[in-house]
Amino acid sequence: MNVRLFFLSALVLVPAALRAQDLPALWAERTKCIVAVEYVTETETDRQPSISMGTVIDANGTIILPSGAIDPRAATWQLKEFKVYLPGDATGSPAQYLGQDAFTGWHFVRADEKIRSQLTPVTAFALKGPPPVPALAEFVWGLGLRPKDEDFAPYLMESHVVLIQSLPQRTAIAQQEVAGPGLPVFNQSGALIGLGASAFGQTYLQFGSRGRGPQQVTLINVEESMAFTLAGEMLPYLGRIPKNVSGRPLAWLGAYGLEPMDRDVAKFLKLEAQSGAVVSEVLEGSPAEKAGLKDRDIILALDGKPLPQLKPDRVVVDYIEREIERRAPGDTLALTVLRGGERVELKPLLGEEPKLLREAERKYFDRLGFTAREFVYGDAVERRAKTSEATGVIAHFVKPSSPAAIAGLRPEDWIKEIDGVEVKTFADAVAKLGEIDRDQARAEFVLLVSRGGETAVLRAKLK
Amino acid sequence: MKPATVKPFPARSISALVLVFLLAAAGLPARAAMSRGFNQLLDAVVRIDVRELAFEAGARRYSASIGSGVILSADGLVLTNAHVASNRAVELNITLASLERVGAKLVGWDHWTDLALLRIDMDEVKRRNLKFTHADFGDSDKLYPGQTVYAVGTPYGLSRTITRGIISNNNQYLKDLQGVNGYETGLFNTWLQTDAAINPGNSGGPLVTEDGKVVGISTRGYSGANNLGFAIPASTAQRIVAGLVRDGVITRSYIGIVPKELQDLETFYSLAANTGMLIDSVDSGSPAAKAGLRGTDILLALNGAKVDGRFPEQLPAIQNLIASQPVGASLTLTIKRNNETRDFTVVTEKLESRVGEEWALEKWGLSVRKVSRTFARERQLDDETGVLVIGVQPGYPADVAGLSRGDVITKINQQPVNSLEVIKAAQAAYEAKPAPTLFEVQNNRRVSLYILKP
Repeated sequence: MNVRLFFLSALVLVPAALRAQDLPALWAERTKCIVAVEYVTETETDRQPSISMGTVIDANGTIILPSGAIDPRAATWQLKEFKVYLPGDATGSPAQYLGQDAFTGWHFVRADEKIRSQLTPVTAFALKGPPPVPALAEFVWGLGLRPKDEDFAPYLMESHVVLIQSLPQRTAIAQQEVAGPGLPVFNQSGALIGLGASAFGQTYLQFGSRGRGPQQVTLINVEESMAFTLAGEMLPYLGRIPKNVSGRPLAWLGAYGLEPMDRDVAKFLKLEAQSGAVVSEVLEGSPAEKAGLKDRDIILALDGKPLPQLKPDRVVVDYIEREIERRAPGDTLALTVLRGGERVELKPLLGEEPKLLREAERKYFDRLGFTAREFVYGDAVERRAKTSEATGVIAHFVKPSSPAAIAGLRPEDWIKEIDGVEVKTFADAVAKLGEIDRDQARAEFVLLVSRGGETAVLRAKLK
Repeated sequence: MKPATVKPFPARSISALVLVFLLAAAGLPARAAMSRGFNQLLDAVVRIDVRELAFEAGARRYSASIGSGVILSADGLVLTNAHVASNRAVELNITLASLERVGAKLVGWDHWTDLALLRIDMDEVKRRNLKFTHADFGDSDKLYPGQTVYAVGTPYGLSRTITRGIISNNNQYLKDLQGVNGYETGLFNTWLQTDAAINPGNSGGPLVTEDGKVVGISTRGYSGANNLGFAIPASTAQRIVAGLVRDGVITRSYIGIVPKELQDLETFYSLAANTGMLIDSVDSGSPAAKAGLRGTDILLALNGAKVDGRFPEQLPAIQNLIASQPVGASLTLTIKRNNETRDFTVVTEKLESRVGEEWALEKWGLSVRKVSRTFARERQLDDETGVLVIGVQPGYPADVAGLSRGDVITKINQQPVNSLEVIKAAQAAYEAKPAPTLFEVQNNRRVSLYILKP
């Protein structure tokens, strides 16, 4: 983006009366509540640096990053060397990763004590009382951060609110880019009015140089967003700092594959002015199963509150998921479901989410060329296996050109036997693979793997 | 270099052929094999014009293709490929060596071996007093690598064309063949490989020896490779022809094991050389799975007869042996698992294709295919209920409602779709009295509801 050009056009477009005389001063003050956060994801064979933008939320140097800032498949112990950079400053200082909150999706990071004095929490710019809701056409402005090679220089974006929607969070859409994702948005007087959301895809037509096209492409601006969630969706939840890096406790219902319905279906099912969601499957041993939820039940209401009609239809699924994540294990979430024309009331007691993929134990065997990962609940769900009968481990990573790769092992293969012996537990597999890995005289090993419901015998040559 | 892919050759795009004029004066072949038998064979090779019906994209679509065939008997049996003439063919025309054209009907087809048998309309032959000769099979088991063979057919619809080559391999194993119009193929036979030029349109034509005996049916070529052609051996073809003449279909048995060659694994499994076949996988829900078999088991013997599956080219014969058992027969499989050897009894069931019957519901712009037992197992569906969406026509009710290819329709207006008849009846009811119709659809385990509206 060309900053200078942008300012010029803004001057032309925005009537002078609307512009606060002291916007530069407000801007300068508010750049103290944003930072850039850098971290490294360490994998078996390489290190992947990532940079994200974050907003400071309290005096303890706590920073929130948007949910997309970290790959959900990465184990927390793979995330290393968190660093916080102040806007316009290329020297970072170490920071601590605190974990992710399931409800808001935010990742929490804490800045080093030394720089905390240079930070201002965004709450300092929040009005007392109910958070403001911008009016249509209201002037709003927000902050952005330039890339690392430009010392994360802060810059200003200006726009107007053109639409407010429930997605399901109350989200304002501005006429053009108004803030970096995860960075705050303010109103004319400088009061906090929202937080930059991840940008929406925008459709463009692409024309080839040799007269080809037009081809429709969707582009997403990852640095700047036109959408922001309103302050009312942010301020009440700033206290949801994870108690531990795993983000637990995590509430769990166990209704798999929630599918939205369109208005025509709702109307056909005589659901006036409300929506529903189909439960594709009820997971084995889950709170939903215990409460008597059945496959293909249609959820109509949560705690007696009918599901709202939201657009796009898909949003109702997020709505339900948020209602679960908002709660804690041990809470009850009353469900009203439609089952074969009858309304049924259920009272599931939410449980604790089974071990997640990112929490699964892993062990990399360099000579063999792959990582064995503990078989967790989600693996069983994905492979339609009975969790009670699930044994074996998952090939989490396969090193290219390694013995395992040459034998045909692929990531996500389910290893059921090693050298003809059934793998019962992760510890079993690690012991067996470790033995093979250390045995320099070993010429080969044989795996039985399952992939897409079919098994295959793979023979890996070590010599 | 990109790996070449084996493709069947339906001559679809004749217009795309670019003729190249070779200016060099080609010398005559050193030895023109013009035996009497060979001349008779030439007169038995025909061109087959096929009009096919397909239920693509929510509508009935007709397409035309050209292949070759060979007349096998005085009463007008013609052998060709299943990818030339299948159950989808609605019109078959044979062009005889005399360049006369005559209609034909499908006697039966077998996608597993990619063979189809037609019968010329003999009434028409008599009425018009048409003449043709027929060819005889030779013994494909006696072929040797290096032996001269000729491929005869109508490549790209050109009139009868002979190309010459040798047998490059008389027992070739081909894995992962792309199916015959989506139907499975190639599990039960090995192939004759030849360097005689085989082009699109040669499909179904005979591969013959110098004395004019049919030793194979030209079927496939590697696209992007030079002179790698494949033919179904006559030994396989003869068996299939006999079965199709007798029953119109080939019935096979299925137990659900996926075999793999043992090559180099004998020591690992402590086996004597040339003993046993590795079971790579067992289809879930199959007779073998019910009997307790699983991957890494070694099949040592079948009904007491020793099994040798050391090399890939030995696998089709073993598969065929299982397939030729009567449906419902109890087989004794001697299995070695780790250090134990024991017998398992497996009751065979009828082999079914994953491709079920197809239909187009044109009012809805929806093409469907019945979910088969095999398909249900592969997709880990609960049962065989439902029809698979294989195409939707843009702008028609199914498309507008949001259905798409790959969806499985499990219920219509709350009624389980356990046959094509159910969905046909639902469409008829909709046609008689158009009203919103509720579809329950499953895709990748996700269940969604859609309304089809008039």
